[in-house]
Amino acid sequence: MTQPRIAAFARLANGDVAPNRLITGQNTLLGRTIHGLAYDPTRDEIVVPNALADAVLVFRAAAAGSEHPLRVIQGPRTELVTPHAVSLDLQNREILVASLTGRRINVFRWDANGDAAPVRVIKGPKTELGHVVGLAVDPDRNLLAVANTREILIFNRRDDGDVAPRGRIAGPKTGIIDEPWQMEFYKGRIFLAASNHFHQNLYDGVTLRPEAKVVPDDPWLNPILGFMGIWNITDNGDVAPLAMIRGSFSGLIHPVGLALNPKDGEVYVSDSVRNGVLSFLVPQFFPQENPTSNPDGRQAK
Amino acid sequence: MIKKLAAACALGFVLLATLATLGRAAPQESKSSKPAPEDIPPIRMIADPYPAFNGIAVDAANGVVAMSDPNRKSLLLYDRARASQGGASRGEASLPMRQIVGPDTFLGMIAGIILDPRRQEIYTANNDIEDTVVVMPYGASGNVKPARVFSVPHQAWGLALSDVADQIAVTVEVQNTIVFYRRQVKGVEAPVRIIRGPDTGLADPHGIYWDESHNEIGVANHGNFRGVVKNTGGGCAPSFVVEDDAEAGESRPPSIRIFAAGAKDDVRPLRVIQGARTGLDWPMGIAYDPQHDAIVVANNGDSSILIFGRTSNGDVAPLGVIRGDRTGISHPMGIAVDAQNGEMWVSNWGDHSALAFASGARGNVAPKRIIRSAPAGMPTPGFGNPMALAYDSKRDELLVPN
Repeated sequence: MTQPRIAAFARLANGDVAPNRLITGQNTLLGRTIHGLAYDPTRDEIVVPNALADAVLVFRAAAAGSEHPLRVIQGPRTELVTPHAVSLDLQNREILVASLTGRRINVFRWDANGDAAPVRVIKGPKTELGHVVGLAVDPDRNLLAVANTREILIFNRRDDGDVAPRGRIAGPKTGIIDEPWQMEFYKGRIFLAASNHFHQNLYDGVTLRPEAKVVPDDPWLNPILGFMGIWNITDNGDVAPLAMIRGSFSGLIHPVGLALNPKDGEVYVSDSVRNGVLSFLVPQFFPQENPTSNPDGRQAK
Repeated sequence: MIKKLAAACALGFVLLATLATLGRAAPQESKSSKPAPEDIPPIRMIADPYPAFNGIAVDAANGVVAMSDPNRKSLLLYDRARASQGGASRGEASLPMRQIVGPDTFLGMIAGIILDPRRQEIYTANNDIEDTVVVMPYGASGNVKPARVFSVPHQAWGLALSDVADQIAVTVEVQNTIVFYRRQVKGVEAPVRIIRGPDTGLADPHGIYWDESHNEIGVANHGNFRGVVKNTGGGCAPSFVVEDDAEAGESRPPSIRIFAAGAKDDVRPLRVIQGARTGLDWPMGIAYDPQHDAIVVANNGDSSILIFGRTSNGDVAPLGVIRGDRTGISHPMGIAVDAQNGEMWVSNWGDHSALAFASGARGNVAPKRIIRSAPAGMPTPGFGNPMALAYDSKRDELLVPN
């Protein structure tokens, strides 16, 4: 709603600080609704969607100013429909794209450019994809986790077409109420920013829905706090998080963005109500091993 | 050093105050002061404790200049003339006449703002999932309920009002649309008309003005374009109908598109300013200057103000540009014309300021007056609801988009 851009801050930045550099301006082809962002350490690139132009942009990671992307995935063959989140499968060299309005997941080769066809597309009624945002791949187990509407859906990584999810983490024990957002993966664990805001859109496009009668309450004032939660990717059903960050001391209200730094034991979370970025020191969240399931590791109550 | 220390203290106070407020609201806090094991405090937080100006509007008749602030989620009203008498020129923060802020206000990620001098009402568009336009009386202050709230499609940005048509126009980014409501709209009402379709050329519309003297509407477009025909569903909400076909999105050049004020549906614009000569670079706010029969544009991408003739058409250079180190312009978002006093106001996203220029100003000129929402030189994180993050392990940097 403000200036489309990507801002780079020093990891140790704290308080009221300016970014080290900005990627912004017409040449960048950026737009509003950047709901996903990924850094590729193997190619030193940044991957970012532009939902308003049905595009995925790839920048060099050191980009600054009004710099044009290195590659632009855009065009009718891409099958992109309001792509607003991205994720990377570094092991299999793929870019995964969540198309929200299209209720689909498009998978591209990591060097895709121009009007490139996806290598796979998960879409259709069996998928149950709705409000799809965060994506995370477990390359060892060949699983794909999807933050969807009010749940986490688990697909096989190579699923293609109209396929049912193989697993689902959903229910009251999960704490996920509405619109789970960015998701990351580390050694068998899903990290999720569970925003828990209630977005009620009264319009379908620009047409008022017949049932719309009352202006909803401000979604950011939903009293049910959001949280950052962790699950095993092999979890299934109504399963409480292994661990979480939530509560008044955490400062999280409705967290949305999420990034991991296992080396320093840190988790970074952006919060829509705070309009800020919070850093947490939680080395205990990053296991040394790659467990298949660790129910006993759940956070002590 | 003292300034930095003071700033750090101020930020700490704000964070503690907001944390304390949150704590009262959190149900688990009412049972015990012992934190739950998952209630882990952050070790760092990047946030801007000061208001950040997005839209700007001026009312010469009532001596008011008003700004929307999506950072602290507030509206700020300043005395138009006293802005020259405060300490802003010495780098001090300006004292607003009133700030409207708090949970009852319905103010969220607000963008465009307009003033209705006749009825002394403030309109501002919630651009994010609030999906509303909020109407406040001039006299509102603090945590007050709006006079009216009405629902709009997702990603409303710009606003324009016409007394003649008795309508309000709202641009909608993701739908490449202008929706029009009756001026008195309240609650949930359908638009009275829309401008939308392939012939309109609308592509991620932002700022809008209504020129009643020539019966025209002008719209600034960023150029992001989705396939209009298949464009159902909200940008942040899935459609009821799965869209099976790709939309063949495009990144078009930015443009200013001028329509007949009474236009509706899929209509061609009367004129289009677009092309390399125009210098358009993410045009945000836009306004009509009747004194000079000109269109003025807040050109966000290159930190400038562009001035075009009202009848400019095609790939034309602006008649004038305000840009340079003396101007203080930093990634401007909003622009407003005060024809009565021969001024135009610009709101900066790049720092905490709004600037008043003589409406005939050109080149690298200093502003006549400055309004500051923070002491000069305070850093500006510049967040606009950052809904994603990435960690760049090579540079040890956090990447934060808006």
